[in-house]
Parts: sequence; C-alpha cells; structure tokens
Amino acid sequence: MVGEELDQGKLAVFEERIARGEKIEPGDWMPEAYRQQLIRMISQHAHSEVVGMLPEGGWITRAPNLRRKLVLLAKVQDEAGHGEYLYHAAETLGVDRQELLEALLAERAKYSNIFNYPTLSWADIGIIGYFVDGAAILNQTMLARCSFGPYSRANIRICAEESFHMKQGKEMVIRMARGTSEQKQMVQDSVNRWWWPTLMMFGPHDTDSPNSPQLIRWGIKTRTNDELRQTFVDNLIPELHALGLSVPDPDLTFDEGEGHWMIGAIDWDEFYRVIHGDGPCNKERLGARRKAHEDGRWVREALAAYAARAEMAEAL
Amino acid sequence: MKDGLRPHLASYLLAMADDEMVLAHRNSEWTGHAPILEEDIAFTNLAVDEMGHAGLWYRLHSDLVGEDPESYPDELVFFREAPFFRNVQLVELPRGDWAFSMLRQYLFDAAESVWLPALEGSSYPPLAETAAKIAREEIYHLRHTQAWIRRLGRGTEESHIRLSRALAELWPYAVQLFVPDPAEDELTEQGVVPARADLQQAWMTKIEADFEASDLALPESAAPLSVDRRAHSEHLVGLLTVMQSVARAYPDVLW
Amino acid sequence: MTDTPWPRFYVFKQDSPEAPHMNCGSVHASDAEMALLNARDVFVRRPECVSLWVAPAARVAEVTVDGLAGLAPQADDAEGQAYEVFTKAAAKGQHAHVGQIAAGSPGQALRKASETYPDGVWVWMVVPSVAIVASPEDEGQAWFEAARDKPFRHQSFYHTERLIREIKAGQLDPEGDE
Repeated sequence: MVGEELDQGKLAVFEERIARGEKIEPGDWMPEAYRQQLIRMISQHAHSEVVGMLPEGGWITRAPNLRRKLVLLAKVQDEAGHGEYLYHAAETLGVDRQELLEALLAERAKYSNIFNYPTLSWADIGIIGYFVDGAAILNQTMLARCSFGPYSRANIRICAEESFHMKQGKEMVIRMARGTSEQKQMVQDSVNRWWWPTLMMFGPHDTDSPNSPQLIRWGIKTRTNDELRQTFVDNLIPELHALGLSVPDPDLTFDEGEGHWMIGAIDWDEFYRVIHGDGPCNKERLGARRKAHEDGRWVREALAAYAARAEMAEAL
Repeated sequence: MKDGLRPHLASYLLAMADDEMVLAHRNSEWTGHAPILEEDIAFTNLAVDEMGHAGLWYRLHSDLVGEDPESYPDELVFFREAPFFRNVQLVELPRGDWAFSMLRQYLFDAAESVWLPALEGSSYPPLAETAAKIAREEIYHLRHTQAWIRRLGRGTEESHIRLSRALAELWPYAVQLFVPDPAEDELTEQGVVPARADLQQAWMTKIEADFEASDLALPESAAPLSVDRRAHSEHLVGLLTVMQSVARAYPDVLW
Repeated sequence: MTDTPWPRFYVFKQDSPEAPHMNCGSVHASDAEMALLNARDVFVRRPECVSLWVAPAARVAEVTVDGLAGLAPQADDAEGQAYEVFTKAAAKGQHAHVGQIAAGSPGQALRKASETYPDGVWVWMVVPSVAIVASPEDEGQAWFEAARDKPFRHQSFYHTERLIREIKAGQLDPEGDE
C-alpha cells in the first residue's frame, strides 16, 4: 500500500503547511477533496456574483436621481468584476469557465439563495447593500485569509470593493429612515422581507454543518456559520434601532450576560425550499441568465470566427 | 459671451446632455444580459462614462440658466416630459440586439470623436475644457466599439446580416446628429461651437474606413428622418415612464 | 450545450511607471485586442494603472522551486526568442515582472529564468515577448484617467459610520433631513 502511505504522508505535510498559515498555490499537491471542495465553493461564489447582478440591475433604470443611478451602475458592474476574479480563481484549479457556466444554467450548480428573492421597491436596493453586502463582507473578510492562494487574493480584492457596496446601501437606508413617513414605511417593509433571508446567507447552524470541521482544519473557513451570523446580528441591531427600524423577530432579546443579541428560530424549511428551486425568483433568475447566454451565442461565435481567420491569416 | 447668445448655448448644452443621458440609460439596460461577462462590465463602463458626461453638460447648462448645478440636473432628467427633451431620436430607440446597440454606440462615439476636438476650440472656456476632458475618455470608447464593429462585420454570416440590418435602421437616425438647430448659426459665427455640416464630412470619412473593414456599405442617402430635436418617437415616452417612475412617485424627498 | 469558448488571457497591470507589471488575474476574450480592452474594464475601474499587458494563457509557462528538477537540462545553444520573466518570492502574492531572457523553448526559458533570477524565488513564469499585447503607451490618459474621477466607487465617499455614530449619540435628530 505504498501509494496510500505516500498520500498519507503528503496529507500530513499539506495540513502542517496550512497550520503554519502558508498558502496553497495551484500546482501544489492537495487532497482531491480539498480541490473539489474549493471548486464547488469558488464557483458557487462566482455564480452568486453574476446572478446577484439581476435583482439590483433591474432597478438601475428606475433609480430616482443621477447620483444613485451612477452608484448603482458602478456597484453592479463591480459584481460582474467579482465574478471574473472568482472564475479565474476556480480556473487555476483546472476547471474551465465554460463548464462552470453550463453547470449553472443546467441547474447542477448553486448560487447564493438570497438572490432568489425579488426586489419589490426602491428601498430594497438600499437594504440589499446594507444587509446582503454587509453579510457578504463578513464572509469574504474571513475568506481573504483562506489557505488557497488565488481564492484568498480574489477575496482581498473583492473586500476592498465591497465596502463601498455596503456603505452606499447603508447611506440610502439612513436617508429613508430619517425621511418622509412614506420612505420610512418603504424601508421598514424592506427590512421585514430581507432580514431572515439575509441571516440564512450564513448557512445552516453549526450543528447541521457536517463539512465545517474539515473546512476549518483545511483553512478554508476560519469561523463557523453561527459565529459569523452572531457578529452580523450584533452589528446591525443597534444600528437599526438607532434608525427607528425594527426586525420581524418577536423573540429577539438582548442577553446581558453574553453581550449578544439573541434571535428567534430561523425557518429552515423556507431555506431548503428556496434552495431547491421553489423560491419566488429562481425561475426568473436562471431564465434571465439562460436568455443572455442563448441570445449571446451568435455574438460569441462571430468573434471566435473572426479570431480564427485572423490567426490563419497571420500564419500564412 | 454676449448675453443674446446665452439661451442658444444653454439649448445646445441641454441637447448634448440629453443625448448622453438617454443613450447611457439605454446602454444600462444591458447590465446583466450581455453576451459575455466581460461585456457586462465593459458596456456598463460605457454607460457610467456617458452618464458622467451628461452630468457635466447638465451642470454647464444649469450655470447658464442661473440654476443650482447640484440639484437642477435631477429636475431636468427626472421631472421633464418627453416633448421637452432635446436628444436626437437615435438614442431613444430600444436597444435591439447586440449588433444594434453596438453599432449605435459606434456611430455616436465616432461623431463625438470629431466634434469634441472641434469643441475644444470654443471661445467659451467652460465648454472648451469640458470637451477636452470628455474627448480623452471617448478615445477609449471608440476603440472599443470600433473593435466590435469590425468583428461583427467580418465574423459569421449571421453577425454580418444583423449588423447590416442594424445599419439600415440606424442610418437615417444617425445623420440627425449633424442637423444644426436653427439657433446654432449665431453660436457658430461667434466661434462658440463648430459648424455641424463640416463635422459630418469628417465623420463620414472616419466611419468609411471602419465600414470597409466590416464589409459594410455606406448607405446612399444621408437624409435624416427628423430635423427637429423637439420631435420624438413614442419610445422616449416608454423610456421616461420607467426612468422617472420612482422619482415622480415621491417628489421632493431625499434619496 | 456546445458553445464556442473564448480562450483565457493572463492580465498584467503596472500601477506606476516605477513599479513592475504584476499578474492580477485573467479574462476570457476571442483575441488579444479584445482581451486588452476587457482587461482595462475588469481590472482598472479604480486607480492606479499606467500600463496593461495581456498574454494568451496557452503561451504562459510556470515552474515552482519543487518542479525545477523535472525540467529538461539546458541546451547549449540557447538562442531562439525573447521571453518576459515574472517571479513570486513566496507562495502567496502576485507574480511581478523582473526582466527578459532569450531561450529556444518554454522549458529552456524556465530553466534559464531560474538561473538568471535564483534568489528567494518560489515560482517562475515565462511568456514569449511576442505573445504579450500591451496597452498603447501614447493613449495612457484615455485608457486609465477615467478611473480617477469616479470617487463614488470608493467607500470613503460615504459617511455612513459618522452618521450612525451621531444618530446614536443623539447629536443628529433621528427625524432629521441630512
């Protein structure tokens, strides 16, 4: 069983490197499970950025002033850019971007559930920046320390840009919360719809996350789902209260002893329903991506044909 | 600048601003739906730049008519009815397919590439400076759209057909870019703005080379479909209905 | 679902005239000119940048310290073509441009690179110089200035933290209109 012993030896070295805080780079030996885990995570992250352009992208045309319109355009554009960085990181692991895209469109790959919810009012645009990007920042700040070099670097770049995403949303929410009664109503309604889906972004409770311990040992995660979720809640609740906004959680209490805000029970049935395709917007989101892909086919073919002819002409 | 010229220049600036604004809005409709991820970023970049340019022209216009350049542009964009917009009809047409949007952007970028440098010679300094700044960004826009036109023109049979079809539809609208407003004569005489008719020749020469490289034929007739920037199609109404919907639902609030 | 995939191009970005070109990622494009245009939009939305290079991924060769032993030995007549060399000092970080060498094949270029730049290098990357397409030097302003005057892309443009602090401290009327 020399092969197995060799692998065990390599695994030990690999885990030691990670424990020392070293980065694993493309070309380094890695357990197949590590590689597959990362491909899955990174591609899901990339798909989320790309699909995530849609709920906000639809409101660019309706932004109520020039500044908001420009800012939203810039934000959504960034998200496409993040998709780029992440697909690149995934490709360093030996997959082709085309394969990943096909898996997404064929519903074999997932993306973050949060983007299966509809944006129903302008206030949603502010809340998405404040809540969804706020949650993403916590996650991505952690991933910036991940053991796989290209993914870590992609997240560092993303974090730098994401901060503006969160702040522009927060600025909108602050304005609305302190605005007319209609604006306050609009933003409170938005909070009511986005609060729980945002909390679900952090994933199942630790007790229901069988992968987590290995992901932590391999430096892919450094904090658990519940830890990140708790940080998010502790950050947001005092701010929301200061703005005169409430969250739709009758069981929310402040635990003086622990110094934490304790939330009520999360409806995991809804989470799994939406993840398995039964959410309010799943069909629309994928439908839009499929249409863009299909409509764009003749364009991609045209450019490939042009490039092929140019190469042939050069070779002559 | 002579007092009598101010309202004419204000109209001229408003027209340029409306062109950029409406075009940028149409371009932004592609965000999330482009044929490839790189173009979601690139075409959106064009929209961001064009919207920035619109903002600059709206500000200059505001200064000339004695309005607050911080707030007046939003009033102009979000609270004017269609008959009061001064863009050419070219930019309000729906986005069509990728060939249509790309060719429209190319024709517009090519036009800007001849008239912005001419505007840099304006006797009105704010106009000259703004034109110079915008002209620098436009160099890059034209490179981008030029690259696309050549590739769609000589890509596949399908891309060529789509591009030709787009040209046939766009051409009578594009030439409206060079139709002067009656009030422009005085501005031209005083060296505030260049003569559009002269610019049209420069534009045709420029696009000739790219059309040849794309196997496109320059259309015979250069008759514009419309000669009056006050005339619009119903497409503009649909566009404004969407663009102004949130602003108009809640006027006088801070967003 | 078959489609025409566009090839991958590595992107190298130079932040200032004194700095080396650094590998910042990749884009997919049908040819080098489109790759360069796309790279500018993907990687230069915010300053700083003065120059961009792109090269087809298929023309890039890399080797780590561990992999050197597996390279073919150096041939005697190492002429051929020019290669640009990029190195990384540690496993993390980005490849930086360090110079140019001449070699007869990618494998030989890697060996020569490892001998020309031996100290403290973790991985060497070589690209034939002719495979690199650069942004036009005389169009630097047009390509990169646009990124400089879009402050709304920066988080410092938004004063949310100050606002929240002031609201919490009761310094700002929560019903106010700032």
